[in-house]
Order: sequence, then structure tokens, then C-alpha cells
Amino acid sequence: MRTKKLVSIIVLVLIVLFAYFSYNTALSNFTLSDKTSSYLGGIKFHRAAAGLEEGFQIAQQENKPVLMYFWAIWCQYCARFQTDTLGNEQVKKILEEDYVLVSMDLDIDREVAQQYGVSYPPYLVFMDQKGNVLERVPGAVEASYLLPIVTKVRDDVRRK
Amino acid sequence: MIPFGDILLYAGLVISVIALVGLLLKDLKNIEILNRLVTPAIIAGAGILTFSYLLLTYYFVNSNFAYDYVWQYSSADLPLVYKISGTWAGQPGTYLLWTWVVYLSAAWLAWTTKHTTALARRTQMITLLTGMYLIVLTLVQTPFKLIIERPEVIELIAKGTLTADFVPLDGNGLNGLLVNFWMIVHPPLMFIGYATMTIPFAAAIIYLLTKAEGWEELSRQWARFTWLFLGMGIAVGGVWAYLVLGWGGFWAWDPVETASFIPWLTLTGFMHAAALYRKNKTTFSIAAPILSVVSFILVLYAAIVVRSGLFNSVHAFGETSTGTLLIVFIVIVSLVSIVLVMRRYFEESDKVEEDRGFWNKTNIFYVTLLLFVVLAFISFWGISFPAFIQLTQGLKVGVASDTKNFFNIWSYPFTIILLLALGFCLNYKEKEKEQQKKILFIVIGLSIITMFLRTENFYVLDHNSPFWVREPPLYKMIGNISVISIFPSLIYATWSTIQRLMDYLRIESIRPKIKGIGIATVHFGVVLILLGAIISSNFTQSIEGASIPLASKGNIVPIGNDYGIKLIDFSTRSLAETTNVPAEGVRISEIFASPEKYVSDNVKISGKVAKVVNVQSPPPVTYTSYLQINDGADSIWAATQAEAPMDFQEGMELTVDGFLMANFRSNSTDTTYPLLLFSRPDQIREGISSGKYNVQSVSLEVYQNDKKIGSGIAEYLESQSGSGTFPLVDSSITGTDVYVIFQGLGSGSVPLSLKIIPAVNFAWAGIILFAIGIILIMAMRSKG
Repeated sequence: MRTKKLVSIIVLVLIVLFAYFSYNTALSNFTLSDKTSSYLGGIKFHRAAAGLEEGFQIAQQENKPVLMYFWAIWCQYCARFQTDTLGNEQVKKILEEDYVLVSMDLDIDREVAQQYGVSYPPYLVFMDQKGNVLERVPGAVEASYLLPIVTKVRDDVRRK
Repeated sequence: MIPFGDILLYAGLVISVIALVGLLLKDLKNIEILNRLVTPAIIAGAGILTFSYLLLTYYFVNSNFAYDYVWQYSSADLPLVYKISGTWAGQPGTYLLWTWVVYLSAAWLAWTTKHTTALARRTQMITLLTGMYLIVLTLVQTPFKLIIERPEVIELIAKGTLTADFVPLDGNGLNGLLVNFWMIVHPPLMFIGYATMTIPFAAAIIYLLTKAEGWEELSRQWARFTWLFLGMGIAVGGVWAYLVLGWGGFWAWDPVETASFIPWLTLTGFMHAAALYRKNKTTFSIAAPILSVVSFILVLYAAIVVRSGLFNSVHAFGETSTGTLLIVFIVIVSLVSIVLVMRRYFEESDKVEEDRGFWNKTNIFYVTLLLFVVLAFISFWGISFPAFIQLTQGLKVGVASDTKNFFNIWSYPFTIILLLALGFCLNYKEKEKEQQKKILFIVIGLSIITMFLRTENFYVLDHNSPFWVREPPLYKMIGNISVISIFPSLIYATWSTIQRLMDYLRIESIRPKIKGIGIATVHFGVVLILLGAIISSNFTQSIEGASIPLASKGNIVPIGNDYGIKLIDFSTRSLAETTNVPAEGVRISEIFASPEKYVSDNVKISGKVAKVVNVQSPPPVTYTSYLQINDGADSIWAATQAEAPMDFQEGMELTVDGFLMANFRSNSTDTTYPLLLFSRPDQIREGISSGKYNVQSVSLEVYQNDKKIGSGIAEYLESQSGSGTFPLVDSSITGTDVYVIFQGLGSGSVPLSLKIIPAVNFAWAGIILFAIGIILIMAMRSKG
């Protein structure tokens, strides 16, 4: 009986430690989005419908295109897309410097998704400051495919 | 008006109340008035539920779209079997299924026990209460809701756009991912397992409450049955995920699949506890009922995961009204259980047992139980705390850089310990204990040493993955363990299982012998599943984004890494209910039945080319093709002209638009056609594609260094409500699968991904052994 109790207590302590540690690790390392922003692939996005409105304002002031990224936490391809494609050095640099970035969580921002005809993640929608859709990139494409599009949309918007 | 189906459910509720009151009167006051009615009432209740499920099935088979649920998950052109499986495609139907099976269980319990003992009566009460709660849940989200009760339909009726007796002509259709054999069997297996878990739970609660003897005997077969169905349900879900792309392999630690795995783990723990408890009633006298109760609570939890809208999963149903009711249910059950367990614990804790040291069978079994609990907790925690954070702080967090990494690193060490415990316990003999301890220590030593072996990339976490670099230090540390370390314990477990099997085979009497073989079979299954899962997930080779031009049909196209693919054929078909219903246009028989309606007008038909006659007219040269089109029931001739020869082949599936002429005389073929459909080449389309479920299929051969390693058909299904891919899976005797995913034709080429997946068949074999083993054990039921 004593042995069992001892083992139980050790296991209980270990479980609590594990729970505490993994909880904090997730909070400090893997927060994907809070109320105003998302942090996907190491890039900061404005979030949700409010973020999109704000995004258009910033885009007008700074003369930048808007990129809207639809994702979901359960989407296996999104995780890879974020690290490999969006996180690609060249792509990331252009996105962070020349774009206003907005992210939409398909589990939450369903209305926006419906409005833009997006039914699955990952999905990119490129827009000008007025909200005209310039380009759509559905699916987990590779950086080599995305880079020319990212460059072209930026240049088109600048030229106008 | 209340729909008939709902009336049935209310009737079920009333009849359960009668049975419950009868049981209570007998139990509390020993009044017999209603007691004779109890068993018939419960059986009648089960009958009513059976009837209501059959009624729902009938609505599906008849495509009765007046019902919202039928409209949502079915359509007229679905094959019969998918119409039937549509009944469990959505939430309302699965509630009804769950409820129905709980009532069947109650009826079986009534029939077999006749309620002769207090334990049986009380267990029945808990079962009935559960069943009644589930009926209420079903009623809240009833599958018998009429389509005219839909908010948007009500609006349209108010506007006068629709009439008050509106019935849609066709259904919304079944999601393409669900149009698959494995999806027919997966939900029933799961929900039968969920439902039958009620009886072991009820018996355990009664034991905790009254200390009733015999609760373990009562729940024994039920627990095994649940274990089999739940386990097979999870496995079939894995097979489905493997055969229908989107999840990347057979197990992705998605919250919903993980949620159903958790009660299975604790139930496995219960069965181990029960094995010792039944030999000595003081062993695990608290642990066993706790595990049984916890398993039931976790079944409810799994239902919440799917239905609350809090857990972000690829197959969450979204937020629903019943989510809250389920949470109320789980809170009540948990509180009651905690109080009862505490009481029992303090009652029993003053018993003094002699301490026989750590190394005895009970203690190692206890460690095994704890390991099941720990593994269950890791899974529970991994899916729960992100939902908790989201609920309380509005933050979305991932559990690790890549979700599966979290579960893999934490589960891995405990899996090894579990295998070690298996090896030690299964072959435990009191007399050889010292010797066996020595062997165990050697294996532990080997496991630890092999953890540090360096390999190319055979670690708990994939070092080449982009997620690897972003994991925190502790996760990296565990992720750095070499997976070679699983082998000492795997071999140890195998050896121990074989030793035990030998012992069982030496037993003379037949029943214990077969039961022993069953036990060994199940444990051998564990070894195979782990072997298959680990090897296949670590050594899969994949080549993504290959594209084979249609024009290169018949030639091997290299796609990299010495692999090549030869396209044999490309075809499309429609998944229509019967072959004589064309997917598009008019039935040919209809044209012949009333030609006056169609002659001298545009008509569209579709079908297979039965005969081709090509003729050439004199200069200026034109080419005419006469095509006999057969839609399965009837055939008609069509003709088309062009300036170049056309290439129509027999067997092609065509959709033909054209102008219907009567009594057309053709000199070139010397025939008078009573009816002939004239069509321009651009009005003829290959494939019958506007049906609701269109399948594109490619026949392929896969080559490695110009040697054929696999062949078969990969398909892509498109439907209104989503698409599905059905990969080519060619298994070889060595256990390696050639796996090709086809993502639908795009601009003249066939996009493919190739995977070479080793050893995955070991896992399937292990699952089959699980089933065989537990069925052997169940068949050799020992009495008392």
C-alpha cells in the first residue's frame, strides 16, 4: 500500500509539472494570435475584420497593397506554408516592408472568408488600398511560386 | 405540428420514466406494482428507438428533403449505401444513433439479468437516466426538423418567395470526403462504442455507491465489447485518414481523433485493473471503478470536443446548442463520481496490507495503470489547454512548433516504459522473479544506451523539418532521443509475449487456453502497431508536386530520386445511383417514349459510345462520325461533322448537345435513322461531368530505376459540398506501400504526389490482431 501511494504521489507531481511547463511553453513560444494580431511564421499580422479595416487605412496612408492570409490551427499544410513559404527570407522581407498584412482565422472569421469566397486554408488574397482583389493564391504554394507574385503586386500598386 | 419522429422520441422518454419509477419503487419501498412492467417497458423503449432510427433511414433512402437533416446530408443521385450512411453523417443523426444503442444495451441488460439483483436494477436505473438525457439532447437538435423551420426558409416563406409546404427538389449532398467505404463504418463503430460504455460506468457508480458485489462480472463483457468497437472505430478513422488525403497519414493528433483515443486508453487501463481485481477483490478495488467511470466521462468529453465549437479541429461540427447541455452532463457526472470515490477511498484507506516491497505483480500492474493514465493525460492536456487559453484569454496558442511534436515527444518515453512493464508483467512468475528482474534491468540499460545513438535522421523529432529549429530546448532534448531506443523494449515485449503464449499452449483445458491465446494476440498487436507507426512515420520518402502531361500517356516520366510514373489511362465518371440514369440531360428512353416533345428541338443526352461509324463525303471533303450513344437503358444515334477526321472511340463517355431530327436519311451509310441527334464537335464533351459527384481517375504505374514497383488507380472526387482524393495505395509483401495522391486534372496535366511508406502494413496487421484477440477473450467468457 505504501509503495503504491508513493508511486502515485510521484506520478501526480510529474503530471502537474508537465502540465505547468507545457502550458507556459505554449504561451511564451507558440502564441499564434491575440486580440489584435497574429504571429504566423514569425511574421506579425493584423487580425480579423477590425484588423482589415485598420489595414486599409494604413495601406492608404503608406500606399501599400494589402495581403490577407486565411489559416486555421488544425491545418497541417498551413504550418509548413508559414515556415517555408511566408517565412522564406526574401518573401518575408518584401511582405514585412512593403505590405499591410492581415490574417483571418477560418475558425473565427468565417464571415470574411465567405465574403471573399475562401473555403479552405491556406489561402492568400492580394488587394489594393480600396479593397479590389488583385490576385488570389489558394493552397500551400512554394516560395519560388509566391515570390514573383508578391513582387508584381507590390510594383503594380506602387505604379498607380 | 410535431414531426412523427419526434413523437417517437417523446414516447421513448415517457416509457423510460415508467420503467425508472418501477425500478425505484421496487428498490426503495419494495413495491412490486410496476416491477413486472419494467423489462417489457425497456424493451418497448428500445423498440421505439429502433423504429425512429429506421424511420430516419427511410427518409434518407426515399430522399425526403422535407426534412432539413436529410436535405443537408443527402441528395437524390447518391448510391443507396451512401444514402443510408448519410444518417450518421451529421450531429443530429449521431445523437440518435448513440441514444438508440444505449437503449439496445438497456434492453439487453434487462433481458439477460431480468433485474433479479439489486445491482442489476440499479445499474439499469443509471443506464436509463443516461438514455433519457441523450433523448433530450437528440430532441434539442432533432434530425426530424423540417426544412421549413430553417430561418432562411422561414424568411423566404414570409416574403412569399416560397410556399409554406416547400420541399427542395434535391439535397445539398454528402461531403466528398465522406463518400468512401471507411466513412460508412467509422461513425457506427465509434458511437456503438460510446453507447456501450454506459453499462460499465453505471455498474461502477453503483459499486462506489453501495459496494455491491459482482459489478465487475456484470461489466466485463461490456467493457471488452466497448474496447473492441471504440478501438476499431479509431483504427478505421485512421485507415480513412490514410486513404483520403488531407490529414497526412493515419494519425495526425487532431483534437477530435485524439479525444476518442483518450477514453480508449483509460478503458484499456480499466481492463488491466479488472484482470487483477477479479482474482483478489481487494486489489485495485478503487482504481478499477475509477478507471471505468473516468472512461465514460472521457467519452462525454470527446462528444464535447466535437460539438462545443471550442476545439479547432478539421472535423469539428461547429458551435451547437447541445454543447452546453453536454457540459452540464459531464459536470454532474464528474462531481457525483468525485464525491463517491472520495467516500470510498476514506472508507478503505484504514485497511492495512502487508508491504511486499516494490517488485511484485500488483505493483507493476499499478505502474501499468498509471502509465495508461499518464498517456491519457498527455493527450487530454494537449488538446484541452489551448482551448482553455482561447476561452479565458482570447489567445490562440499552438502546443508546439508543430502540433504532433508535442504529443510525440511526451508520449514516447512513457510508451517505452509501458513496453517494459508489458515485458515484465506478461511473463511474470513469482519463482523466477530475481532472474526476470535481471533481464528487465538489462533491457532498461539497453534502452537508455540506445537513446544516445546518433543516426542520420531517426530521432523522436524529424531534424530536417523546418519546425525542429523552433522547438524549445526541452522539446529538442527529448526530440534528440534516437528512436533505436524503442527496439530493446519492443523485442523484450515480443519475447515475453511468445513465452507467455508457450505457457498458454501447454494448458490442457480448452477455454483458458484459447483465452490465453487471445491475450497473447492482443499484446502482439501492440508490438506490431508501434513498429508500423514508428517505422512508417520516420522512413517515408515523398516527392511532391510532380506533374505528368496527359500527352505523355504510355511513357515513363521521371519525377526525381530515380522514380518515374507512367500514365496508363485517364477517365472520368459520375457516381450516379444507377447506370440508367444519365448524369446530365434527358434519358434516351424518354425521347423514344414521346418523340414529339423533342424532335426539331435542342436536346442534351449523355452516355457511353456503343458504336462508331466514320464516313468521308466527296469534295469539299468533310468527315462525319455517327455515334451510337447508350445511357445504360437505351441508345440513340448522334452525328457530327468536321473538316478533319475525328477520333471517337467505343466506350468513351460523352455528353452530347444537339438538334434532334426525325427520319433522317443518310446516303453515305445507307440508313434511315428514325431519330438522329445532330451536333457540332464543340457541342460534344468528353465525360459526364455535371452530376453531383464526379470522379476523375488515373491509372498509373510507378517505377524505380525503371523497375515497376507499383500500379493502380488514383482518384479525385469533386462534389458540390467539397472534394476528396482517394490515393493509389499499392501494398507489397514487405509491408511497404506505394502511395500516390492525385489532386485533380489541371491544364492538361496530372498533378501527383508520390510517397513510399514502409512498414505501415504492420500497423494494420496489429489492429487486426487486436480485434481477433479480444474476440477470442470474449468468446471464452469465464464465469465468476
